Amino acid sequence: MGVKKFIVGCFDNEDVLFPAVKSVRKAGYKIHDVYTPMPIHGLDHAMGLRETSLHTAGFIYGIIGTTTALTSITWIFTRDWPLNIGGKPHFSLPAWIPIMFELTVLFAAVGMVLTFCYLCQLAPFVKKHHFHLRATDDLFVMVLEVTSKTNEADTINFLKKAGAVEVNVQVAEDGWWLGRYDKEQKLYQGHGETVIV
Amino acid sequence: MAVLKYESQTRDPLVDGHKDYHQVTEDIIRPIEANPSRLWWIGFIISVCLLLFGVYSVYREVTYGIGQWNLNKTIGWGWDITNFVWWVGIGHAGTLISAILLLFRQGWRTGVNRAAEAMTIFAVMCAGQFPIFHMGRVWMAFYVLPYPNTRGPLWVNFNSPLLWDVFAISTYFTVSLLFWYSGLLPDLATVRDRAKLKWRKRMYGLLSFGWTGSTKHWQRHESLSLVLAGLSTPLVLSVHTIVSFDFATSVIPGWHTTIFPPYFVAGAVFSGFAMVQTLLLITRKVLGLKDYITLNHIDVMNKVIVLTGSIVGVAYLTELFIAWYGQNGYEWYAFKENRANLFSPYGWSYWLMMGCNVLSPQIFWIKKMRTNITVTFFMSILINIGMWFERFVIIVTSIYRDYLPSSWSTYYAPTIWEVGFYLGTFGLFFTCYFLFSKFFPVIAVAEIKHILKKNGESYKAKMDVIENKPAEKFYEETHAVPH
Amino acid sequence: MSLKEQFTVPGRFRTISLSLMAIGIVSLVAGYFLYGTGDEHYQVRFWGTLIHNSVFFLLVVNAAMFFICATTLAMGGWQLAFRRVSEAITVAVIPLGVIALIVLLALVLGHQHHIYHWLTPEGDKILEGKSGFLNPRFYIIWTILTIGGWIILGRKMRLVSAELDNGPVPVEQGRKYVFRSTVWASLFLVWFALTVLSTAPWLWLMSIDAHWYSTMFSWYTFASTFVSGIAVMTLFVIYLKNQGYLELVNREHIHDLGKFMFAFSIFWTYLWFSQFMLIWYANIPEETVYFKPRVEGAFKGLFWFMFVINFLAPLLILMRAGSKRNYTTVTFMAILIIIGHWLDVYQMVFPGLSQDPETGKYHVPLNFFDIGVALGFVGLIMYSTGNALAKRPLYVKNHPFFKETIIHHT
Repeated sequence: MGVKKFIVGCFDNEDVLFPAVKSVRKAGYKIHDVYTPMPIHGLDHAMGLRETSLHTAGFIYGIIGTTTALTSITWIFTRDWPLNIGGKPHFSLPAWIPIMFELTVLFAAVGMVLTFCYLCQLAPFVKKHHFHLRATDDLFVMVLEVTSKTNEADTINFLKKAGAVEVNVQVAEDGWWLGRYDKEQKLYQGHGETVIV
Repeated sequence: MAVLKYESQTRDPLVDGHKDYHQVTEDIIRPIEANPSRLWWIGFIISVCLLLFGVYSVYREVTYGIGQWNLNKTIGWGWDITNFVWWVGIGHAGTLISAILLLFRQGWRTGVNRAAEAMTIFAVMCAGQFPIFHMGRVWMAFYVLPYPNTRGPLWVNFNSPLLWDVFAISTYFTVSLLFWYSGLLPDLATVRDRAKLKWRKRMYGLLSFGWTGSTKHWQRHESLSLVLAGLSTPLVLSVHTIVSFDFATSVIPGWHTTIFPPYFVAGAVFSGFAMVQTLLLITRKVLGLKDYITLNHIDVMNKVIVLTGSIVGVAYLTELFIAWYGQNGYEWYAFKENRANLFSPYGWSYWLMMGCNVLSPQIFWIKKMRTNITVTFFMSILINIGMWFERFVIIVTSIYRDYLPSSWSTYYAPTIWEVGFYLGTFGLFFTCYFLFSKFFPVIAVAEIKHILKKNGESYKAKMDVIENKPAEKFYEETHAVPH
Repeated sequence: MSLKEQFTVPGRFRTISLSLMAIGIVSLVAGYFLYGTGDEHYQVRFWGTLIHNSVFFLLVVNAAMFFICATTLAMGGWQLAFRRVSEAITVAVIPLGVIALIVLLALVLGHQHHIYHWLTPEGDKILEGKSGFLNPRFYIIWTILTIGGWIILGRKMRLVSAELDNGPVPVEQGRKYVFRSTVWASLFLVWFALTVLSTAPWLWLMSIDAHWYSTMFSWYTFASTFVSGIAVMTLFVIYLKNQGYLELVNREHIHDLGKFMFAFSIFWTYLWFSQFMLIWYANIPEETVYFKPRVEGAFKGLFWFMFVINFLAPLLILMRAGSKRNYTTVTFMAILIIIGHWLDVYQMVFPGLSQDPETGKYHVPLNFFDIGVALGFVGLIMYSTGNALAKRPLYVKNHPFFKETIIHHT
């Protein structure tokens, strides 16, 4: 985390974006991220992102839920306070299946959503730098990180040639902070200016 | 490679008009940014009034006890549990649309899923009121939760279907809420980034959790939606299954029948879709969203209605037949005398149910009827009445003449406070829905954009290049080895 | 690249299917002399095997037509790449329907009252009460109508599909075509609902335990045979793929078939559990009597074995996306599921037939005879499907939705 310099290229068509991502990667630029208004299938592969293993986490949470239900009900009804209910055995598994199932789903769903929010740093009061406000409307925003080896002018030209309708350079915090969206906050003195090219 | 976007031109488009991405945003977000219309205010005020009447009815019940209702020794469950099952049933369509249809990749779900999910959540909220207040001493409601306590230690009864309900309904509510809200995040971010007003920026900034639209986040979001859909599918089945267990595990004639679980689920989907139709027909008119909730959508949903209505019909006939086939005198009496006999005290309700749920939806075999707004609206109301009576039939006609003829009771009619409670939940439901339609995007913006280039009218029009190609040539082009 | 549209039955395929049929006939003859000629109690064993196998395999191939009609009504496009395979399987409804008809009529006309106790209801108040439904005349008429309806409507669906071989279908004509096929598909489904989803399993299978009843029974039977039907389709698709046909079918299609197998295995379990749990919970003797020999008695081992391979195996193995896209795993699971549901229908039929009249004890008579007859039916399905595949082009390439299946992706 920290303040970095970025070159931002905006595309207005995903069919232009795909070849652009490919050529940008091929040319050796480092893609910080691509911001899109909707999910675009295959973009993660094009960017070389690895598959998410969120669903595996969900599976584990689910198993924990099943186990929690089974062990606690078993303990309660066979050890802690056995009751005769309608002449059924103390260990009446068929009657516990519904609750075991519900807890499986509950644990898996809640666990996964929390994990998702944690991984993506999503929470109320969280604020992030938005490279372009239309990234949630109709623009596909490709953000390249400027490293010591980057030649800014070349990169800008490269993006323009790749089909970007708008290119600019921004200095921004790449992490998150607690803040409000109705107030501009200066996180660091002397930075934060946007250079439109 | 970008995925080739193609869909057969034989199919009707799902987004009418010549839209681009920005236009989609404009159309769907505009109602949030504009002042609500007069129609909105009228509806909202009526809903709040109903809600207040409901609150007063509940206040009477809490203060003076269950005696405020006309339940009696024989009919221990009357309107309240009927309403409970009815609302839970309505709360099934949302998850069905968003989860099952997501897994079946039915593109048309994108136009209606957001509103249907919201409806689900509000319906489950309404449903929950009834068992809670039926407890009588509502301040003791937390007794239904299992936790170590000083009362014995007296645990809840894990073998009881009523407790399964506690788990099922609360899990269903939680998971539906998470599913709905995680889907809303990107759209709330859209509202935030468009906002001009300070309070709106602040509010939607807070609500959108700092969503940026990063590709990695989308990837995880897709995975999350898919797994939540996978989890919700058995969940939505389990909820009404467990509600049906409330009845079917008993030995009451007319209740103990093994087909109850799947048939309750089919009935729930049936009534849920009817309610979705009611709401969306109003929504598309009031908010001007006819391009997104098209006649095509209404047509498809009516098909689901005729399908589920017929499944329910098969189940009704199955129960009736097996009641005779089983040669159990009590079971047969419950069906023959308490229900099917039109001249028995509640016989009319059985035939009302049959008429509304099985016979009347059959008109949806005809396409003209399916795409007629007036007919659809009328039918959606009729089906909801029918499905209410289904639960009434199951509950009241099975118990008003129990095993002990001296306690038979045919004089059950609800008091004004019982009715008021029901009306109050309508108030709650519609108040929530009106607020939702004012402050949230009623259509999933990102999902519409996702299907736009495949299902949008203007994009589909351009697909005749592909359409006229022979299959071999198309195969050749799409499967050429990239070099 | 042109599409391989003409299937020729490979010699090996034909040899295998013919030898399987030979095994079936040999088993049938052997079984007849072993079991079919003795006293009437002993004959139950022979007829039980025939009713089990003929009804099971008939319902399975008919389930393929259910799949076609359901996807037609749902306006599905993805399954068109192997639509002709599903159609070819349903051709077997004709021979299997005739065989099942012969077996079922022979039972009733041959007065096999040890299988169908309701054939002699005299003195049994409950069976006398049921005789309005369970009587030979209604049984015969309804059975003929049921099987005849499947054959006729199924044939009509195949003919509607054959129209596509005549040449390209422009968009406007395509709309009309789609509409017409949905009309026939819904007619089939209505008949399906009135037979498979209600009366047929009651008459053919549930009435073996003539006193017992369950409203769920037919839906449960449907779930069992539908998931097996999907498995059969999957096996044929993968076989053709291995033979170099069906180049349009890729991992995405297999993935979706795998999803169907997974989902409907869970659905089957759901229906099984609902039926079992409600009967277990209410504990009414006239209902629990059904599960006594199955879950606790002689059939216990078989029952739980069947439960494991029909529920736990699909749940754990097919849950991962990777295994649904793996041809070997999917093939293995499809075979396992067919065996599992064959055993499921077995345990619907046989406990009602295998109670020793003297001791009252149950035994599991499963042996080579059942397996041999089953293999015979497998051979017949292979033979019929192979021939049907060779008769028409492998693709419905003029179907209005066909291009969607070419670019199908998950």
